[in-house]
Amino acid sequence: MQADSLVPAAAPRTPLIPNAPERRVETFYYDNKIVRDFGIATVIWGIIGMLVGVLAAFQLARPELNMGTAFTTFGRIRPLHTNAVIFAFVGNGIFTGIYYSLQRLCKTRMYSDFLGRLHFWGWQLIIVSAVATLPFGFTTSKEYAELEWPIDIAITLVWVVFGWNMFGTIARRRERHLYVGIWFYIATFLTVAVLHIVNSMELPVNFLKSYSMYAGVQDALVQWWYGHNAVAFFLTTPYLGLMYYFLPKAAGRPVYSYRLSIIHFWSLIFIYIWAGPHHLLYTALPDWAQSLGVAFSVMLIAPSWGGMINGLLTLRGAWDKVREEPVLKFMVVAVTAYGMATFEGPMLSLKNVNAIAHFTDWIVAHVHVGALGWNGFLTFAMLYWLWPRLYRTTLYSKKLATTHFWLGTLGILFYAIPMYWSGFTQGLMWKQFNSEGMLQYPNFLETVLQLVPMYYLRGIGGLLYVSGVFLLMYNLYQTAKAGSLLVNEKAQAPALLPAELVEEHQTGHWHRWLERRPFQLAVGATVAILIGGAVEMIPTFLVKSNVPTIASVKPYRPLELQGRDLYIREGCSNCHTQMVRPFRSETERYGEYSKAGEYVYDRPFLWGSKRTGPDLQRVGGKYPSSWHYNHMLDPTSMSPGSIMPTYSWLFDQKIDYSILPSKIKVLRNLGTPYPAGFDQVAVDDARQQAQGIVTELKKEDIEVMPDKEIVALIAYLQRLGTDIKVKPEQAASVTATTR
Amino acid sequence: MSHRRHLFYGAGLALLSTAPALAQEAAAPVAPTSAEASLRLMWVMLGVLAVVLLLFIVLLVGLLAFLKPVLRKLYDQPAVHNSWSGRVLGLLVGDARLMQGEVRDELLDHDYDGIHEFDNDLPPWWKYGFAFTTVFAVCYLTYYHVLKTGQLQGAEYATEMQQAALLVATTSDDPNQLTTYTALTAPAELSSGKGLFTTNCAPCHGASAEGKVGPNLTDEYWLHGGEVNHIYRTIKFGVNGKGMVAWKGKLSGKQILQVSSYILSLQGSKPANAKPPQGEKEAPAKTLAVR
Repeated sequence: MQADSLVPAAAPRTPLIPNAPERRVETFYYDNKIVRDFGIATVIWGIIGMLVGVLAAFQLARPELNMGTAFTTFGRIRPLHTNAVIFAFVGNGIFTGIYYSLQRLCKTRMYSDFLGRLHFWGWQLIIVSAVATLPFGFTTSKEYAELEWPIDIAITLVWVVFGWNMFGTIARRRERHLYVGIWFYIATFLTVAVLHIVNSMELPVNFLKSYSMYAGVQDALVQWWYGHNAVAFFLTTPYLGLMYYFLPKAAGRPVYSYRLSIIHFWSLIFIYIWAGPHHLLYTALPDWAQSLGVAFSVMLIAPSWGGMINGLLTLRGAWDKVREEPVLKFMVVAVTAYGMATFEGPMLSLKNVNAIAHFTDWIVAHVHVGALGWNGFLTFAMLYWLWPRLYRTTLYSKKLATTHFWLGTLGILFYAIPMYWSGFTQGLMWKQFNSEGMLQYPNFLETVLQLVPMYYLRGIGGLLYVSGVFLLMYNLYQTAKAGSLLVNEKAQAPALLPAELVEEHQTGHWHRWLERRPFQLAVGATVAILIGGAVEMIPTFLVKSNVPTIASVKPYRPLELQGRDLYIREGCSNCHTQMVRPFRSETERYGEYSKAGEYVYDRPFLWGSKRTGPDLQRVGGKYPSSWHYNHMLDPTSMSPGSIMPTYSWLFDQKIDYSILPSKIKVLRNLGTPYPAGFDQVAVDDARQQAQGIVTELKKEDIEVMPDKEIVALIAYLQRLGTDIKVKPEQAASVTATTR
Repeated sequence: MSHRRHLFYGAGLALLSTAPALAQEAAAPVAPTSAEASLRLMWVMLGVLAVVLLLFIVLLVGLLAFLKPVLRKLYDQPAVHNSWSGRVLGLLVGDARLMQGEVRDELLDHDYDGIHEFDNDLPPWWKYGFAFTTVFAVCYLTYYHVLKTGQLQGAEYATEMQQAALLVATTSDDPNQLTTYTALTAPAELSSGKGLFTTNCAPCHGASAEGKVGPNLTDEYWLHGGEVNHIYRTIKFGVNGKGMVAWKGKLSGKQILQVSSYILSLQGSKPANAKPPQGEKEAPAKTLAVR
């Protein structure tokens, strides 16, 4: 390694035209308070979100930890965990880093202190509203977009405030060119806005209930275009931007390659957006869309790794510092975890790998390598680096930070390895046939119970990880106590010269042209991110053959619709899929594989993404209603050893018929072919169907009032997947056996 | 140098000496014609192939190490250096620049809050990797959607089911065609039946078959027939819409017969908490009469 490549004391300055006007040096102040505030929010929400995650983890090992109340069951806790760590922990982390680095990269204070405060408090309020709705069952059930429509609107507004503040700052910059970090911030802002708005299109029924504007396959495509790119543009691109600022800063080394950052930036944002369908391989999504998802996922390896190698190679000549500096240790593991996760992702997108991994804990392991390693560790590195600078002191304890590093690393290993093990185990058990051509493990529960020890280990991994975050909190607190916050940090920079007076602006790398023009750069990025989504979505919406309709598939009856909304409220789709894939191992286990036309009335779609319990697409008619009744009251009575929580409140609470007519009206407006005026008779129809179920249960000596929620849920479960079930062969079997 | 030569000859000798050994080994299991034997033969052959490949690799590495000074000299000649074959040679003699590119570490005149940038080359392994994945993606889409050579999921499923049908012996799968089994009575069979009953049937029919969600199976009343072949049919095909699950595909024919026989052995056992009778009364004699 050349030692002379260390940063020169004074970098060569832009040569000016000889008689250019004098550049006046201006004095201004960076706003550090907003950075500190976002930093504190990051730590607090991080701890809360991770503790909720630990609870969810142990609930899978010990079902009694669901605590028997509606608000604490896994189905409601899990979305709380994902929302808290993604939008509260990582979200605040993003804003901490952007508010610090953007001011310095633009050599100006943030555009508006007021907008900054509004952004800060608005964002915290959104998180609080998530805590105030998700455990109470107000959810759209679309993963990472569970919040109901009023909160969706609030998110949009706060996001606009953030963008306004960011672009205002860029407009007032004293640095002509935008650094690569800012390109990533701009792409993040634009894409998240597009994703959020398109995926949140829904028609309200009342203040906290809405139906998706998309149905079935189309809803699934939009949701996973969103879900995948939320990972891309909320967990990846902003963090790459942060990496490009904080890593060279902490290492004191120049970025390895400018041209690599150009090519990996553009290829990353362009290709990422296409890869969403890899979440829907072997589903009812049209084949061509699945194949596009596979192809673009594979092409995504290099653009992702471009970021990793630019980060790791920037550390050349600084590896001796890594040994002593916990900030750099965290960064090295973060960037490495990013590299591992972004290699694994494309591998999981290959259909033959996906066939084993999908719906299992393998995916859980995959996302946690990214979340704990990449996002978590980069956040910690950033906070450890920032705090002494904000408080004008040194870090309280390097040793404690190093302990945190090792606890966190151990936590990741304890988390990931058991989950990989569990994923392999279950994926293979589901597919195993014996020599007689029958499923080796026909009882789904058998494959779940095999995983319980892994669930304990994973929970311990989570505990280790979060205990490290407590050390971080203590360390930062002591650091802050020892110093004093530099609220307004003085800085000086010359004012910008008009572009045409600067010689370099006429020559140099072609990309420099774009870096001087935030507007054109933003337009370019928007075009890049719109193409993939448009190519996949427009045909799926407009070309009829992509979703062949099935004549026997009818809209849900009102009681079934009520039951479906309970299924959504309880978060059943967090553990149960409704998607039988076209594999022999699945059709033997569940029945006929799922067809696109079966979902045309599903708003939202409920395909799920993880099978902690069995698929439910063909559960209708499989068991008697009394089985469901007993099972929901105490799952272990019907499935000894089951880890499913009990749902006793469904037996006490009454079905809320008050908004049923509005639901029918909204669905009619969205295109569900209910006859005109059906909303007027919907409640009667529901009561009639409920009476039928009550009568059926009575035959089995089960007394239940027809207005209890359990009746609606049973109605929905018994309807599931039955519309295409009546086939001549089965009809024959019925007549034969009933004589 | 001499130890390398030893390695070289040693590897060659080892290769030669395995040849007769493998011939003997391969000859032995040919005689039995069963599928198992040919499977074993396949593994033996694969093992031999692996050993041969390993030897080749060892030889090649030895040869390279042996010839490296000469190859290096050849590679350093300008005419060779810039050709395609020269690059392959460069990889063999370990020219790191071919993988990581020229690292010039020249600073650009960029300064962003004290952050500077080099403008090093894209690492060739990354560049070619990107090109490779792009080619892969194009080939992938062409294979499945332009040439339509590859099987998409529907066709793949059909193939899987066809293959399964070949492997799995097909028994009569007509629910209207009653089987002609006799109830098993051997204690071993009944105890297997009991085990199957406990894991699969007890949740609905009760641990003593007294009836819970499903009917009582110990009385003389039957909803779908109480003769062993009727029970067999009910278990195998289930009762659509009434909650009895079809167990074909989950239990083998033998297992279904064991459970059916075990259930019949419980007739008249009068367990506690028995569910009231459902269905038609069938005389125990009838069970014996129909054969």
